[in-house]
Amino acid sequence: MSISAEYAESHKDSPAVLCCRAEEGVILSSHNLEDPEIFDELVDSGLLNLKGALKIGEVLGGKLLKTCDSLTPLTADLVERSAESFAEEKKEAEAPAAAEPAAAPAPVQGSAPLAAGGTLKIHIGEGKGIDIQIPMGIAAAAAPAAGRSAAAAGQALPALPQAEASEKEEDILVRSLTRKHFKITEVRRGPETKLEGTVLTIREGIEKEAVDSQDIVLDLKIDIITPDQYHTFSNTIMDVQPIAVKEGEDELGSGVTRVFDDVVMVVSGTDENGVQIGEFGSSEGFLDENIMWGRPGAPDKGDIFIKTNVTIKAKMNMERPGPLAAHSATDVITQEIREALKKADESLVVGTETFEQHRHPGKKKVVVVKEIMGQGAMHDNLLLPVEPVGVLGARPNVDLGNVPVVVSPLELLDGCIHALTCIGPASKEMSRHYWREPLVLEALYDKEIDFAGVVLVGSPQINAEKFYVSRRVGMTLEVIGADGAFVTTEGFGNNHIDFASHIEQIGKRGIHVVGMSFCANQGALVVGNKYMTAMVDNNKSEGGIENEILANNTLCPEDAVRAMYMLKAEMSGEEIKKAEKKWNPSVKSQNEELISNVTGKPVELVENETSLPMSEKFKEKYM
Amino acid sequence: MGKGYKTILLKQHIGAPATALVSVGDEVRPGSLLAKPEKLGARIFSSTAGRVKELTDSAVVIEESGEQPEDFVKIEPEDEELLSFVRAAGVVGMGGAGFPTDVKLKLDLKNGYVLVNAAECEPLLAHNMKQIMEQCEKTLRGVEYCMKITHAPQAVIAIKAKHKREIEELKKYLPEHPGIGIHLLPDLYPMGEERAVVREVLGKLLPPTALPSAADAVVINVETVLRVAEAIEDRRPVFTKNLTVAGKLKRGTESQVFQDVPIGTTVGELIERAGGIDGEYGEIILGGPFTGHAVGMDEPITKTTGGIIVTEPFPDLKKAKLGLLLCACGGNRERMEDLAKKYNAVVTEVQACKQAVDVKGTLKCENPGNCPGQAQKCLNFKKAGCTDILIGNCSDCTNTVMGSAPKLGLVVHHQTDHVFETVGMEPMRYLTKSKKVEEEAEEAVKEAAPSEPQGGEESQEQDYVFRTEDGCFSIHIGSGRDIHIEVV
Repeated sequence: MSISAEYAESHKDSPAVLCCRAEEGVILSSHNLEDPEIFDELVDSGLLNLKGALKIGEVLGGKLLKTCDSLTPLTADLVERSAESFAEEKKEAEAPAAAEPAAAPAPVQGSAPLAAGGTLKIHIGEGKGIDIQIPMGIAAAAAPAAGRSAAAAGQALPALPQAEASEKEEDILVRSLTRKHFKITEVRRGPETKLEGTVLTIREGIEKEAVDSQDIVLDLKIDIITPDQYHTFSNTIMDVQPIAVKEGEDELGSGVTRVFDDVVMVVSGTDENGVQIGEFGSSEGFLDENIMWGRPGAPDKGDIFIKTNVTIKAKMNMERPGPLAAHSATDVITQEIREALKKADESLVVGTETFEQHRHPGKKKVVVVKEIMGQGAMHDNLLLPVEPVGVLGARPNVDLGNVPVVVSPLELLDGCIHALTCIGPASKEMSRHYWREPLVLEALYDKEIDFAGVVLVGSPQINAEKFYVSRRVGMTLEVIGADGAFVTTEGFGNNHIDFASHIEQIGKRGIHVVGMSFCANQGALVVGNKYMTAMVDNNKSEGGIENEILANNTLCPEDAVRAMYMLKAEMSGEEIKKAEKKWNPSVKSQNEELISNVTGKPVELVENETSLPMSEKFKEKYM
Repeated sequence: MGKGYKTILLKQHIGAPATALVSVGDEVRPGSLLAKPEKLGARIFSSTAGRVKELTDSAVVIEESGEQPEDFVKIEPEDEELLSFVRAAGVVGMGGAGFPTDVKLKLDLKNGYVLVNAAECEPLLAHNMKQIMEQCEKTLRGVEYCMKITHAPQAVIAIKAKHKREIEELKKYLPEHPGIGIHLLPDLYPMGEERAVVREVLGKLLPPTALPSAADAVVINVETVLRVAEAIEDRRPVFTKNLTVAGKLKRGTESQVFQDVPIGTTVGELIERAGGIDGEYGEIILGGPFTGHAVGMDEPITKTTGGIIVTEPFPDLKKAKLGLLLCACGGNRERMEDLAKKYNAVVTEVQACKQAVDVKGTLKCENPGNCPGQAQKCLNFKKAGCTDILIGNCSDCTNTVMGSAPKLGLVVHHQTDHVFETVGMEPMRYLTKSKKVEEEAEEAVKEAAPSEPQGGEESQEQDYVFRTEDGCFSIHIGSGRDIHIEVV
């Protein structure tokens, strides 16, 4: 469709194509031109061949030499370019009465050579009322500085690059977090919950207390699944959680955290009619066929599962109290295990690792914005519990109105999010994901940036609320004074509305922004804006779909690396190439290649669902 | 009501229905006042002699007496002002809009124009041209009355250049009518749209919400002008209408003009007068192929009826997935959906032209006849899974649709296809003629013709200031062409 003058100006480097039939002799304006945004589709459909097309900026004001039909690319032989095409076209709403240019043409030729190595060339075919003023001493100095034909295109001459103020190599340690690891080789049931060496015992009968703790929980079973039992049927996996506890009075996000290795809590369940807790796309089935091992949010191969199977009241599976009750009941058990871990003897520590949060003033300030689900029902997240991924002390982000909450990278890595997300399992971030969040880890260790922190923002159900929270995100980043930001999201579709809006709010404040989401085929963005130029797709699936394999399409280290390079490129003024119209997995592999060319080492890629035995469900639905 | 009756609608114009002044049993004659407006509206008169048989909220039904008089009841204007004659005669815009003419002409156009719309733009319609051939002088006098009423010093008759005979006829009389000129229009649809006439003649493109008075002009249909003359010279109220009957008729598909048809005559009676329907038919359109709508045989004609067209049966699209492209030139959504049903297609997607603006419930085109591009719309239809599309676009937009739809595998149907098929005309698809018409600089025309807008070359005064870090050199160019400035 025809475009406005302003739009033409912002797309002056795009190819010029007639939107409609235009007759010979017409002076071309934006109204004659098709919107470049649809060219990809037109080319794909065989409607358009852009070969030889002039740019929009080159044809505006030019004269069409031949009557042409719609979708004709304007090539040099079709357009007599006007002098104005070298300069900006400024159309007033009410154009003044046209003066006939041929009325009194005064042929003028000019060439004003400048001193000292530079030449200012002026050619004027015809014209009148021409004044040229050049204060000679200054112009002579200015010309070489310009050194480009940019002046002819009506742009300001580029300023001489200012010598960067000498940077201070500052490195400030803000806080640190130590994880002490306790190894588990066996989980068994017994009269008391305790840790003996590497054997964890869970008290028999604890299920009843867990059930009684929640009104709408009707039943709870604990299954201890060892690696040799992975081919076991399970209802949909609602969460995968590390079992961790703070040492002494230490607060979440600093001090010492104790954590079990090789064992995870897994929450699963149905309502009393056997309906999965999840509206569409659930991961029920044989565990070994439905879990993408090793993803940040998933169990690792070799982990022992302490899996609860919670039965909640009928029809509560889709209401907010249902999933919350399943999680809370499970946490009764986890909490008792945490207490055992808290008392464990220091001698059982098999290893420690320390995360340090550094600030690098003088470097570009970067913030990670993580959009988390907040639509209600099972889309909720308990923020900042007392214990890692606990329930006690946490506030559901839905109750906080989904407004942005700023946390430190170490709080995030210390389990400050207890995730209640269970539909669309392939792209949702489990609690364990945040515990091992690859982008935060990437940013934490990068000395070339000043990683300021993490902003968590919920994704509300209602559009008006989505824009409410995204405006807060924009303002938060403005106040932080960020130079760059990542916006990540989980899931796809509904949440892409606020995902896009976050990027717009951040981008319009002049902050460089890279978006990360599962998109590919099925999750193609439904909305967009002009700030959504740098995007990283978290897809790993072969077909580019939400394939219900737990955590398959979540953010992995390889995505974090690409995103980081993309943001750095943006912040240093490089242009991100425009995305192709259709999902093309080779864009990702090209970027990985570019990165490994620089780093000298390959970007390590994770496996996808093709490494798993294929389930009957998968065969039916996706093959 | 069938033969022997006339159903005269109380709303034949823009505004509120008129209030009936007669009662059942009243004797009436042609020209008897039947109803008067209370708000915006126009008077309604009987078109026949007889007795009021029935009175409803929407119509007065008159049982005709056997013998019909030659004469009619003359109007009695409240004073001798010309405008009072127009009001008393119930004149409304006869091109189809039905705006009360007395209200329209209540203007002071001291420096403006009366633009006479003789575009007769809807295909097949021919009664306006026939009027010019047969009542040229009276029509021109009507134009003069309109000029007098509005104080306009000039009038321009906008007529398509292809009507050479009619233009010759007008030119014969123009020397006796100083101040009246002719502007030639290209043979494209739509040229008769009010703002299109203003744009073509005066070179001013008005926004869809503006009236021609914004361009110091009034646009008035050529038949309306004649009715103004009749009101003033003959004290004749509006109770008849000129119209065209065309299509699948036993007498052939050639357009047949019927002049001064009594209002209230049914569509069926007129089709009989035109020879009757020739076999199976698709629908009967009241109005033109673009803006008309389907009616039954009993529909009475009104002051705004222009055409009655009987069409061929519709081709069966066998439940094809059809996209509708709405625009101001063609039928409204209701009409398009009606056609989709008749084509036996399933409406799968509805898109509106970028230039179609909703003005009080009616789509108006921002720039009638000049396409804003349609490729995106066609892509949208394709994406929605359409196999066929139905459009009612103007010549230019239709041409643009043809630039992309067929290559996308969309079968294009135009709202006028079944009509054109009926009369053996080529369907509307590609545009091959120019939008420009060479205006004649004849003696008779020259005097009144307004200055033509210079569409072509223009250059604007522009100032560019390029600032450098170290200083400033400025170049000012008042006007010119072929200018290159380069720093190397």
